[in-house]
Formats: sequence, structure tokens, C-alpha cells
Amino acid sequence: MSVPNEDNMTSHSQLSSHFLGDLLDSIIVDVASECHRIARLGLDRNLEEEEEELRLSAQARVRVADPSNSGEANSKYVVDIFGQTHPPVANEIFECMNCGRSIMAGRFAPHLEKCMGKGRKARPKATRSSTAAQNRYSRGSPVSTYSAYSNSTSTNRLSNGTSGAAGEEYSNGTFPEP
Amino acid sequence: MRNSINRPPTPVAEEDQDHQPTLQEIINIKLIESGEKERLKELLRERLIECGWRDEMKSLCRAFARKKGRNNVTVDDLVQVITPKGRASVPDSVKAELLQRIQTFLASASI
Repeated sequence: MSVPNEDNMTSHSQLSSHFLGDLLDSIIVDVASECHRIARLGLDRNLEEEEEELRLSAQARVRVADPSNSGEANSKYVVDIFGQTHPPVANEIFECMNCGRSIMAGRFAPHLEKCMGKGRKARPKATRSSTAAQNRYSRGSPVSTYSAYSNSTSTNRLSNGTSGAAGEEYSNGTFPEP
Repeated sequence: MRNSINRPPTPVAEEDQDHQPTLQEIINIKLIESGEKERLKELLRERLIECGWRDEMKSLCRAFARKKGRNNVTVDDLVQVITPKGRASVPDSVKAELLQRIQTFLASASI
């Protein structure tokens, strides 16, 4: 790189380095002063616990990365960084608020699809427009009105979004009360 | 009459009358007066925090304090502990950025 005034450049870069060193020294003193304060006031007690946790989590991460642990051949369960295993399907059992049956948590969403639909097969997902709603009503089959009624009671309880596809359709409030 | 009236005149601070400010001093004053020094320092501090340099230095200090005993540590000790490693472990990109800024300032201050 050819420079017109080389003397200027080198003295410039020397000066720059000098000032950088100056700034750095100043920051070093700041850090040292802060650490001195922390040491004297004993504020590093908590930090030691944090370090211990960091170390534990690093260990756990190593254990997870180790292929022999989470190999599929060993078990169906994968070990997470806390050393816990989770079954592939959530197996807590509770009561469905719609039909009252005991349902396994991991099977709840598909259950709701059928349970809140016609009661037989899974209902096709409809759009939220009012015309679509009118079409559903104008079909006139007793099964669909039944399901519409059951939806109105369970929508309130499910409008927090925990249900499957069926609940979602009505939770936006466009559903007319029968 | 109060004694204070008769007291000898205050000696003039022994200022080196022939002292020519060096180039460095001139630039330093320009940096400070324009506020650029403060801005540069903040920029450097931010970059060093981002890259983890500050955390490294703090953990060095903590280790030293644990060894020497928390109440026996002085600021000078810590400065001595951090300075060699600190100066050496500044990332090149950070150094380059700061040097660039300083050189721009030097050029604009027409030194």
C-alpha cells in the first residue's frame, strides 16, 4: 500500500496505538477497581454458586453429546441436559371436559378432534367466515346441531387455546349462539 | 491588623515556562476537549464486554482474590494481575476498530 506521506502514517499509527493503550489501561483500572470492591464486600459468594451450576450444566451437556448415552438402541427415551428422560408420548391421564372420559395427555388433541366433531369421524377443518358457519347450519343434520351446541359450552373453557383444531375454530368469537 | 495581611505572597506554582507541549499532549487535550476520548472509551468498553474480555478479567481477579485472601487484595494487585493478560487478549477486530476511529480523529484534527 503506497502512502503519500509515510512519516505521517507511522507517527499516526504510533500515536493511535499509544492512545489505544491509554484507553485500555483506563478500562483495566476500572475492572480492577470493581473486582476489588466485589472481593472486599464479599459479593462474590453468589458467583461461586453460579460457577458451580455452569460447571454442572457443562457436564450435563457433555453427557448428552456423548453418543453412547442417547443411542436409539439403548432405550426409547432421550436424556435431556438435566438428566431427565421423557417418554415420547405424554402419559399423564386426566378427564376430558367434553365427554368425561379418561384421556392420556399425549392423545388429547386427536381425541378432541373427534370428540368435538360429529362424535364419529374427525370433522374437516372449516374456515372462520360466517358463510361457512351458515353452510354448516343449513346442512340441517341433527348431529351437526348437537355438535354446535356442545361447542358453545366447551368453547368458553377452551378459548385459552389448549384444545386441538376443533376448539380453535370457535375461540375467535364469531360463533353465533344457538 | 490581621496577620494574614502581612503574610508573604503565595509562591507561584513552579510551572516550567519553557515547556512545549508534546504532540501527544496536544492530541490528548484535543481528544478530551472534543469529547472524543470519552466516546472512544465507551466504545472500547462496550466491545470488550461483548466479546467476553471483561468476564475473563473478572474471573482472573476472583481467582486471585480467592488465593490471596479476600481482604488482602489491593487494587494495585489486581491491576498487575490483569494488565499483561488484558493487553494481550483484546480481539484483533476490536483493536482495529478503535485504531481506525483514532486515526480518523487524528486526520480530522489535522495533525
